[in-house]
Amino acid sequence: MTETVLTYADWSEALREGELLGQKCADCGNVTGVPKAACPECGSRELSTTNLPEKGTVYTETTVAVAPEGFEGGYKVGIVQVGEARVLGRLDSEADIGDEVVFADVFEHDGEPAPVFEIRQ
Amino acid sequence: MARATVVGVDMTKFGVHDSKLPELFADAAFPALDDAGVTQDELDAFYFGNAMSGLAENETHLAPKVATHMGMTDVPFQRFEDACATSANAFKNAVQAVDAGIHDTVLVGGVERCTPKTGMDTPEMTRVFASASHRQYEQPSGLTFPGVFALLTKRHMHEYGTTEEQLAEVAVKNHYHGSLNPRAHFGKETTVEDVLDGPIVADPFRLMDCCPFSDGASAVVVTNDELGDSFDGEGVDVTGVGHGVDAVPLSDKASLPETRAARDGAKEAYEDAGVTPSDIDFAEVHDCFTGAEVMATEALGLIEDGEGGPAAEEGRTRLGGEIPVNPSGGLKAKGHPIGATGTAQITELTEQLRGDARERQVEDARAGVAHNLGGDSGTTVVTVMEERA
Repeated sequence: MTETVLTYADWSEALREGELLGQKCADCGNVTGVPKAACPECGSRELSTTNLPEKGTVYTETTVAVAPEGFEGGYKVGIVQVGEARVLGRLDSEADIGDEVVFADVFEHDGEPAPVFEIRQ
Repeated sequence: MARATVVGVDMTKFGVHDSKLPELFADAAFPALDDAGVTQDELDAFYFGNAMSGLAENETHLAPKVATHMGMTDVPFQRFEDACATSANAFKNAVQAVDAGIHDTVLVGGVERCTPKTGMDTPEMTRVFASASHRQYEQPSGLTFPGVFALLTKRHMHEYGTTEEQLAEVAVKNHYHGSLNPRAHFGKETTVEDVLDGPIVADPFRLMDCCPFSDGASAVVVTNDELGDSFDGEGVDVTGVGHGVDAVPLSDKASLPETRAARDGAKEAYEDAGVTPSDIDFAEVHDCFTGAEVMATEALGLIEDGEGGPAAEEGRTRLGGEIPVNPSGGLKAKGHPIGATGTAQITELTEQLRGDARERQVEDARAGVAHNLGGDSGTTVVTVMEERA
């Protein structure tokens, strides 16, 4: 494969620019929400970078009250179905399973980003 | 023919210990060797489990330190780390090595210190535990381990209608079982009301839905089927082992409530043993959180999918019920010193199948299953043990 495989650096830079990048497998068609060197379903290295939809549906969520060192408790973390992939990130405190949300912002912790999803207006 | 035979077991009480890691491990391992009636020079290998000491105590390459402390520097040793499935995976490797004829007799066990005796408080230890979630794609969000299992459990609640009261019933049952186990971290019973009154850790989990931070050690002696009757300790057969795996991070798992690794591991272990779930008399499952037990009982085929919550509520999984789950008290009440948990489950299976479990003895126990998962359930080791043929 000649195309450069999506890296963490590419993914996080794009996230900060408001783009959710994923990968699509040329062999089995599987779409994954975060970069890998090979398809987690079939092992193929024929992966192309793809733009994931900004709008999605909450698959599951929880409000973390007891937080790790370096975080303040009381935030919501969840997994969002965006198109064919799922992505984990911070969620609007009102977002429940099944709610429509949109990728709206980036949460930064120690220079490392996580996507933030808000309820679709 | 059995894959292997367990001929000696023991564990420390789980709870708070002042003793250092090698000392704590020896407190479980020497009694296990004595139970089997073997000395260190009769061992062919030492498979040792510890998950967190590099992060929590600045301790790596721990196996030689433990072996030296125990006077077994002639026994080849190796350390295993698979998060909470650490010593179950050490055990699986020992069973396979014995079954393949590579070793005759192996000491397997694990040790961990997770209470503030390590010098770490709750926020620091919460960070250390979160190291098992994906470094780039999960940790920056502030996801915790109670949070990981909350994500699985809330989806289960959404798909099947499992309730917080049913989750609380798992804690109540396991605290009751723990009250019958002198080595349990928590020896007191609790009530659904008390569980539901507790502070939230990560919703739907309240404090009493979560296993404690514990210190402790466990150890077992494994030998081959042929030698299984030649030790002091009554042998119990390992008839099936399965090792299921799944993707990490969570967002790459096809379904969260199904815990696919547990289903694959169980299928492999049952086929290996030539049994079906209906042949199983009791189970020790990885109830790091109440919701994890609900999903484990379903994944192991002991309870119908979606019925794990009602089963706990109806007493089906209680001692005296149709399929007792976690007669030891489980991680919830017995405690969860990470690297010691897998072989502590093997210790409980062995004692139950020997008929030595006293007040918490499962009636007519002939076959038991252990389910030990690591991380977000991406590693799950399932072991079937039966009365010696």
